[in-house]
Amino acid sequence: MEMTKKAAVSRRSLLAASALLAMPSIVRAQTADTIKIGFPVPLTGPYGTEAKDQVACAQIAISEFNEAGGLNGKKAELLVRDDKLDPGEAATRTIELIEKDGANFICGSLSAAVQLAVNNVAKQRGVIYNSISQSDQIAALPDWSKTTFHEGMTPHLTAGAVGRYAFGKFGKKVVFLQADYAYGHEMVAGFKAVGEKMGIEVLADLRHPLGATDYSTLLPRIQSLKPDILVLVNFGRDQQISLKQATDFGLKKTTKIVAPVLLYTARQAAGEKAFEGVIGGTSYYWGIESTVPTAKAFNDRYRKANEGRVPSDYGALGYAGVRALLEGARRAGGTDTAKVIAALEGLKYDFYKGPQEIRACDHQAVQPVFIIESKAAGANPNDVFNVISTDAANADNLVSCKDEGHV
Amino acid sequence: MLNPLLVARCKQHRVVLAIAFLIIFPLLMPFKAIAVNILIYGLFALGFNMLFGTLGLLSFGHAALFGGGAYACGLVMLKLGLPWYVGILGSVLAGMLIAATIGAFAIRTRGIYFAMVTLALAQCLYFLADQATDLTGGENGLRGVDLKTIQLPGMTLNFVDPLTRYYVVAFFVAVALFVLSRILASPFGAVLEAVRENEARARACGYHVRMVRYLAFILSGGFCGLAGALQALHLSIVPLETLAISNSGLVVMMSLLGGMGTFFGPFVGAGIFLLLENLVSLWTVHWQIFVGAAFVACVLFFPRGIWGTILMGRGR
Repeated sequence: MEMTKKAAVSRRSLLAASALLAMPSIVRAQTADTIKIGFPVPLTGPYGTEAKDQVACAQIAISEFNEAGGLNGKKAELLVRDDKLDPGEAATRTIELIEKDGANFICGSLSAAVQLAVNNVAKQRGVIYNSISQSDQIAALPDWSKTTFHEGMTPHLTAGAVGRYAFGKFGKKVVFLQADYAYGHEMVAGFKAVGEKMGIEVLADLRHPLGATDYSTLLPRIQSLKPDILVLVNFGRDQQISLKQATDFGLKKTTKIVAPVLLYTARQAAGEKAFEGVIGGTSYYWGIESTVPTAKAFNDRYRKANEGRVPSDYGALGYAGVRALLEGARRAGGTDTAKVIAALEGLKYDFYKGPQEIRACDHQAVQPVFIIESKAAGANPNDVFNVISTDAANADNLVSCKDEGHV
Repeated sequence: MLNPLLVARCKQHRVVLAIAFLIIFPLLMPFKAIAVNILIYGLFALGFNMLFGTLGLLSFGHAALFGGGAYACGLVMLKLGLPWYVGILGSVLAGMLIAATIGAFAIRTRGIYFAMVTLALAQCLYFLADQATDLTGGENGLRGVDLKTIQLPGMTLNFVDPLTRYYVVAFFVAVALFVLSRILASPFGAVLEAVRENEARARACGYHVRMVRYLAFILSGGFCGLAGALQALHLSIVPLETLAISNSGLVVMMSLLGGMGTFFGPFVGAGIFLLLENLVSLWTVHWQIFVGAAFVACVLFFPRGIWGTILMGRGR
């Protein structure tokens, strides 16, 4: 009886397996000669909205490249995978993209932990990875390698830009309220680094657990300290809830609230009241199209493909990340890793938000940061921020290559 | 009907049959990395099943044993600079040590209380790893567990090569299967069975039931720790999530899906879960609905799990 069982099972699994085997091989046959860019992003989970916009934007970079004739007739292709915002899953998906799908380059991710995981896997296999999420560590040793590129901003850069603007304008007495995890710690370190130079006085450095829903114990304490500025370092839902409670509490009457990053998608979801008057940084806001021609071109293209909507900040990074890789392949005349790295190092470009440069020593994108203020109610639902200041691309605002451990 | 002698032979040589299957398995899978994942999670579920299936103790803290092993392997290699096989040895010991610690508190409780105590202690380990940023990398996880080549007398294996990596992992899984098979066939295995079948009678026969449970927990820790180490080497990272509560839930689900208390059930469960997850999430972001529905259907219609039902259908 045991034998029949074995036979039955192996027949079944053989059938199932041959069906499974057939599927990818058909796909492979169609796309034998394309430039493949693996794109692991968290389609499911709390950042699903942002991830979907990253895909929409990356797709624009792909179709632009293909419409321009590709690379000697070789077309580009985007392989989107759901990393579920989980580093282990992202690592597995990246291995799959490289080993099974034969991806030439990897781009993507939306969390510090995930991008470091993807980077480690790509690095081990000598595949170029262009990360589009915030992290200081990815550009520094020991995580960095020759194949690591970082189109995203770094907490040091973001917090520095916002800090320089806010501490100079609204006062030197500062309270920090941070979500107690890596993102919070890195951002606050960035604010303190720039604050020290400007002589700020830190009245309190408060922490709340990730995913907190009640800030009523912290708010009276903050108010009694009478700070000029409250730096609110949290993300997503935490940011929405804490801002709403701070607004209801009346904190905005006496104190300017500043956040390192204001997300277009979060502002859309939470509405104008909680965010009104809050100042923060961003890598991109569609409103810069009035002064930046490349932004106008990118927005128009996006509007056409997406029923008149406009691209979000994290989404636009997906466009820039993929386009940089394709530009590298075009200049290198192929997908050879060493040649593409050489082509990208020191590359100057203006894809969507003004002049940028890939710093040769650590492959970090030197880029402008925009300081934005949330509006009361705009002319249309897309009109949510005012760009009040622009920090032009400047390598001095990044952690120096020496401090990152590069020789 | 089949020759009963043949059946007995098959059962006797299940490890040999399993090894033969392990050799052809990667050729049946859509890609090698998922075959590796199935083996690793299968081994994890096997360790879990040793407690749940064999003794009926439902632990909700097995992520601590798996993750503990993964971190142990990574830390031995990264911080102590020792070779990978010492890392693997360290992970087995770490898994057993963590199991011994958690077990010391949990083993006196039963049922839901056992589940809760193991869950609570596993969460302690999670937050410990989260806070010890300098050692574990905290939130960002441990990176750089890079194993590129394996030196054997007379040859060098390229561990980054998908198929080689699979066979290295399969080798350790085969060893674990053999060890488990020996444990279950030993007098101690007979005592485990006795405790499961009739605890009062086992106690009346003079067996120290609590000690038997405790030892089984520690052995389970060894298997889970090994699975953790293999994952660390496979992914070249140790995410903080390996210690998370979701990982403990995952292994319960895989065991139930495959069939608790069966020898190969954990591997079947891990395989079906991971294949479903992988294939469904390729064409829809709502993959969880499908995997969840499959799980519910399985619990409703095959309470013995898929492998358990197949065994039953064959009149055993």
